[in-house]
Amino acid sequence: MQKLFNLPTLIFVVVLIVGLPFVQRPVVAAEVLTLGIAAVATNLLLGYTGMLSFGQALFFGLGAYCAGILTTRYGLSAFLSIPAAMVFSAAAAWLIGLVCVRRSGLYFIMITFAFNQMVFFIAYSWTTMTGGEDGLPGVRRPMIIDDQWSFYVFTVLVFLASLCVMKLFVNSPTGRILQAIRDNPARAAATGHDVGRYKLIAFVMAGMFTGLAGAIFSFVFGIVPIDKIDWRFSGDIVFMTLLGGSGSFIGPVIGAAFYTWLQETVSQYWDRWPMIMGIVFALVVLFFRTGIAGMAEVIAAKAWGKRSTAKAKQMEAGS
Amino acid sequence: MSTGLQCVSVSKHFGAVKAVNNVSFEVAPGALHTIIGPNGAGKTTLFNCITSELQPTSGEVRFDGHVISGRRPHELPAFGIARSFQRTSIFSNLTVAQNVWVSAFRAFSGTKVEVLRPADAHPEVTATIYQTLEEVGLSRYADAPATALAHGDQRLLDFAIALAPKPKLLLLDEPTAGLSRADTHRVMHLIEGLKGRYTIVLIEHKMDVVMKISDRITVMYFGEVLAEGTPEEIRANAKVREAYLGRRA
Amino acid sequence: MTILIASQLLNGLATGMLYALVGVGLTLVLGMLNIPNFAHGALYAFGAYFTYTVVNLTGSFYLAVLIGPLLVVLMAFVLESQGIRRLYTAHHDYQLLFLFAMALILQEAIILIWGPVGFSVLTPRALSGVVDLGFIVYPAYRLALIVATILITVALWLFLTRTNVGAIVRAGIENREMVSVLGTDINRVFMLTFGLGAYLAGLAGALATPILGLTPSMGADMLPISFVIVVIAGLGSILGAIASGILIGIAQSLTTIWWPEASNIAIYVMMGMMIVLRPQGLFGTR
Repeated sequence: MQKLFNLPTLIFVVVLIVGLPFVQRPVVAAEVLTLGIAAVATNLLLGYTGMLSFGQALFFGLGAYCAGILTTRYGLSAFLSIPAAMVFSAAAAWLIGLVCVRRSGLYFIMITFAFNQMVFFIAYSWTTMTGGEDGLPGVRRPMIIDDQWSFYVFTVLVFLASLCVMKLFVNSPTGRILQAIRDNPARAAATGHDVGRYKLIAFVMAGMFTGLAGAIFSFVFGIVPIDKIDWRFSGDIVFMTLLGGSGSFIGPVIGAAFYTWLQETVSQYWDRWPMIMGIVFALVVLFFRTGIAGMAEVIAAKAWGKRSTAKAKQMEAGS
Repeated sequence: MSTGLQCVSVSKHFGAVKAVNNVSFEVAPGALHTIIGPNGAGKTTLFNCITSELQPTSGEVRFDGHVISGRRPHELPAFGIARSFQRTSIFSNLTVAQNVWVSAFRAFSGTKVEVLRPADAHPEVTATIYQTLEEVGLSRYADAPATALAHGDQRLLDFAIALAPKPKLLLLDEPTAGLSRADTHRVMHLIEGLKGRYTIVLIEHKMDVVMKISDRITVMYFGEVLAEGTPEEIRANAKVREAYLGRRA
Repeated sequence: MTILIASQLLNGLATGMLYALVGVGLTLVLGMLNIPNFAHGALYAFGAYFTYTVVNLTGSFYLAVLIGPLLVVLMAFVLESQGIRRLYTAHHDYQLLFLFAMALILQEAIILIWGPVGFSVLTPRALSGVVDLGFIVYPAYRLALIVATILITVALWLFLTRTNVGAIVRAGIENREMVSVLGTDINRVFMLTFGLGAYLAGLAGALATPILGLTPSMGADMLPISFVIVVIAGLGSILGAIASGILIGIAQSLTTIWWPEASNIAIYVMMGMMIVLRPQGLFGTR
């Protein structure tokens, strides 16, 4: 029976989960884990299938608004509204994916962008439902997870469960076929795989878990801000994924942590923190495309004298 | 019922350009049939019509009694059809064994989507992979990254991907293109070893290779069939000599 | 009511012509690089802000409109030669993400340099006031804007279709490899095309200042619209971008009469439908 995660990943996850709430307020630590889920999910598209989507904020926001509205308007507890939001996001991803996934890279980017904007403006204008520009406030947690520590534990559990499910997915035959599609779509089709169908599956998985992340997010601060469904946040999620390392399963979580640190900590000292983010992003794109995880692997390989292994082996071994 | 590959009046026009014009031929099961012709003769276009990369403007391609023209490329393996590519086409971020897995798995599990068990959980698939690697001589590289292989070995990997599902029909597009003399020998030796067990259609330029291994040859010229026959018949054919072989041969 | 519609039509034409300039600029870069230029909005914004500074320094709007866009071109040259060029051998996605990162940096740079509060630029005295068109009395500047942008578009069209350089630019958009095979230094063509695209964006920003004002987010607001223009026009069609820009400008200003919120959603629905039903756009060649 193959191990699900390799040792470095396990160590990293444990250190992260235990250490985060001491470095940040527990509620911010929960935010990191939430964004981590979204980033890992987005990487199913980007790193594993080679699809760059500028529409992931659409699903994050959809999940957030869905859970938020079900809880504030219809009194549903988080334990019901979060799964409901996840299902809703999956359905939306399926419908939108039907239209998008068979398009080539350029069109795929433009159309995911277009859908993102469409949904953004719906959220912006439908003020009675979503609160419009001011966002949706008053999203209350159920009593049992109301204080910040128990909510953090709740988030940790969802984070671990999500990682396990997504890791099983990438280790599965479907996960490997997606990687084959990323490397050589024409050959993958010639060997008999319906590329469009598999891309749709990846799109739905990514949308579903990003929606789950959004749903939990609405309970983190108790509010759904409109900027989380804006196309620029789509870019931010891609930034997290790339910065952490799109060639690794757990890498994107590192990117999510860095992004949150910039947003929550650096922002207190400098209003122009997005510029730092932009500069880091530009540097990553120019010089460090494998991201932090990629660089860590190179350093580790040199330190232990191991020869470099195939990207797929690393991905499957769960780094 | 006739098995084997049949091209029936296949034409492919690009506007006014008749790249392939009314080409017909038949390949009996187990035979090795080569398509030759000067550059621009329409060989690759015809090949792409057979593999469904292109749809014929008119005419039909049939295999094993089924019509395969008009289908999408990923539907062809279900009929036992596999192809290799002229410019080596592999999965660069996977290992050698994982490359072969992509086609071996499809043969084993059909179009079912599996998301829970690990990719290597099927021992039958793993056995097929290693059998195929053995056959092409790449067993010792099974866990190496595909990109670590030498140029000629990558071409063998390309074949291995086509061979793993044990297809009935093998379509090989210039299998020796760009290979050194030594690697050309290795590839030809491999293909000769496949004769009889597989129906093979080949596009090839290297005449010594063609003459040596083909059962039948179709010569194309400006999109049409100039001649068809056994290697001896083609060698003796004056029209072919004039159009293609020149004063040699 | 008819006066309202007429004036909204003219307003739509004015913003539409600005959109057309931005759209053509994006088409040039899109056709050449095969990626949507995420920094295009930022170039537009810098056109406006450079204009503002030159107006403050020299008092002359006309000088500012001349110099501002040229400064944007300079900026674009640096961007292209130091940044994008390094990524030509890398995957398309990275070029796109680099430009996205630059958009972020540039927007923050605007706030750093000029502050977070919006500005306005006064209409030049000669063009302030109104013109009596008979059926309607209409602001002079907007009329001048319409006329000026039409002239610029014609000049651009002539450049692209009647000059050798223009032909090379058009060829580069159609078929990059062919142009380099023909012996032209493809890097120079890229730089030229990118510069031209940037110039148009900067010029649109400059001309827009008296009617739209300036805010740091004006670039991020313009960017999605420029994408819609290009998609509806058809990637690679310059005439289409002009037509599409005008169409969208008029559609927006007319919808605001009856259903303001819809004007924004409608254009994205149009974009989505176009990609689904007719991916080559209204006039596209690919």
